[in-house]
Amino acid sequence: MTEELFSAISNLSKGESLSITDELLQNNMKPVDILNIARDAMHTIGERFESGEYFLPELIVSGDILSAVADKLKPFLEGEGDTEKIGKIVFGTVAGDIHDIAKDIVVFMLEVHGFEVIDLGVDVQVKRFVDAVQEHQAKIVGLSGFLTLAIKPMRDTIFALKQAGLIDVKVMIGGGPVDELVCKDTGADAWGPTAMDAVSIARGWIGTTA
Amino acid sequence: MDNKEIAPLTQKELDYQAREKRVFDAIALNTPDRVPLVCQDDYFTLEQAGITAAQAYYEPELAAKAHVEGVSKYNWDMVSLWAKFPGRVGNILGMTAIKWAGHNLANHHNYQFVEKEYMLADEYDEFLQDPSDFTIRKLWPRMATELEPFAQFSPLRAMTHSYTPIEDLPYLAGKPEIRQMLEKIIEAGKEYNKFEDIRWKATQAFIDRGFPVMNALEAGAHAPFDWICNYFRGMKGTMLDIYYQPDKLKAAIDLVTDPIIENAIQLATELNEKVVGIPLHRGADPFMSNEKFEEFYWPSFKKLLLRLIDAGIIPAPYFSGKFENRLEFFQELPPGKIWGHWDVIDLKKTREMVGEIICFSGNVPGSTLISGTVEQTRDYVKLLIDTFGDTGGLMIDGASAIPKESKFENVMAMTETVFDYGVY
Repeated sequence: MTEELFSAISNLSKGESLSITDELLQNNMKPVDILNIARDAMHTIGERFESGEYFLPELIVSGDILSAVADKLKPFLEGEGDTEKIGKIVFGTVAGDIHDIAKDIVVFMLEVHGFEVIDLGVDVQVKRFVDAVQEHQAKIVGLSGFLTLAIKPMRDTIFALKQAGLIDVKVMIGGGPVDELVCKDTGADAWGPTAMDAVSIARGWIGTTA
Repeated sequence: MDNKEIAPLTQKELDYQAREKRVFDAIALNTPDRVPLVCQDDYFTLEQAGITAAQAYYEPELAAKAHVEGVSKYNWDMVSLWAKFPGRVGNILGMTAIKWAGHNLANHHNYQFVEKEYMLADEYDEFLQDPSDFTIRKLWPRMATELEPFAQFSPLRAMTHSYTPIEDLPYLAGKPEIRQMLEKIIEAGKEYNKFEDIRWKATQAFIDRGFPVMNALEAGAHAPFDWICNYFRGMKGTMLDIYYQPDKLKAAIDLVTDPIIENAIQLATELNEKVVGIPLHRGADPFMSNEKFEEFYWPSFKKLLLRLIDAGIIPAPYFSGKFENRLEFFQELPPGKIWGHWDVIDLKKTREMVGEIICFSGNVPGSTLISGTVEQTRDYVKLLIDTFGDTGGLMIDGASAIPKESKFENVMAMTETVFDYGVY
């Protein structure tokens, strides 16, 4: 039955995922164990995305299924579902840019790989990034942008973090206009063209290959 | 005989003809005398003149003057007008589906569409059953606050009896909120006319100086999938529909396909345009597998392209993002009929797969124009010429227009390289 839940989620069948979850609960399986199966399935979905088997629709559908399964489990969990995170990342689309697609993919992949992501949303002003890094004591910041206008606020945000004395915070950038030239120009520590690059970069910074 | 008929063409008129021929030769994959420069400039020239996006939206006369003066200096073969957003019209109608500088974005930021589910997941049947009614009574009120009173209208099919003109309509027009809405629409129309008049005069000013204008790209169309995804269901909603209600999604795409095509042909005919721009959004590689592309995106998009070509119009799709996985589909298209504007793409692969089918335009990276050096810009333009020059079907432009943050010397380097290195 646990195998079936894993395969229902990873093969994106919402109806089956929910009915199997019900059955497992009726069979007195611990909700936290069910949640862990769901997380394993999400990991597989992430791998299929990396390998080019899955694309954006599949990520979105899997997110929808996971949240439906989690909703069923919530009343029974009482805080048990929290797992230990490997690192904390403040993430957002920079000021003036309201595009969220690329950001959401990267956030999804980071979460699937065990990071705690503080997602500040889109059109995030410089000060909000600085405040969030200080509040959450994050050591990694991810800046996303779809438009070329995002380059300047990326540069401004990185500058503001340094000005605020947050010199040990690493910043990665990504999105439509970003490449090596933009990385140098903005003073970012790293950049990447894919969501998986964000995971690799962040893993490198926290010193894990897990 | 009218003197004008026998007068020889002026130098400007000859320049215009030569530039236009250069562009259309390239599109037809007939090698022109030189690689054409067809540069979409939304904000760059304005930025150079110290004019903000907010000013462009609210002081179009100022923008028109600076834009025409600025762009004329580059000697490009086809030019664009500056980014089109009529700020006052947006204010009058209480537009909420777009954010723009001078209203709810900072003065120097481009306007941006606010994507969300304007049609909800359970509203497909309503839309499919009566799309016009749904548009007027549901969609418009969700896009602009001043259009909310449309929601008070009776179902349009209930307003089909002979007494409607003397009963239903006056009854509605008697309501203060509906009168106010109608007045706002009239006011918006007046403002829009002023805005368009200025843009039309700018077009004329370019023509008088010998520059063809790609207004064409505004007499635009959309891939039917994008239409539903952008304007109805939003990206997330559409992606869920691919799995949860694929037949309804396909029915909605089918429903809008013919009207999109007919509207594009009608607009192009009215404006006497030879080209129809098609900005593409959700067909790019990350958005779906080739299998889903073939099922949901390609059939209606291909139909749009072929019908425009049949009508004697050149479709100019702007492949926003990376469309590398889709090149195999584009091999089904007829050669020499399409102006493809590419954003990010593997050049060699594109040359091999569609270089002798689709005229290759664009692709000079925004990052190079913004953060690169003159040398890097020159090298990139040379690379494009070396890769595609032999097809004759190459035109140079920024990957995503000329970014406003571009360095002036890089834009000049892009231009000069074409004159130095792009002569056939």
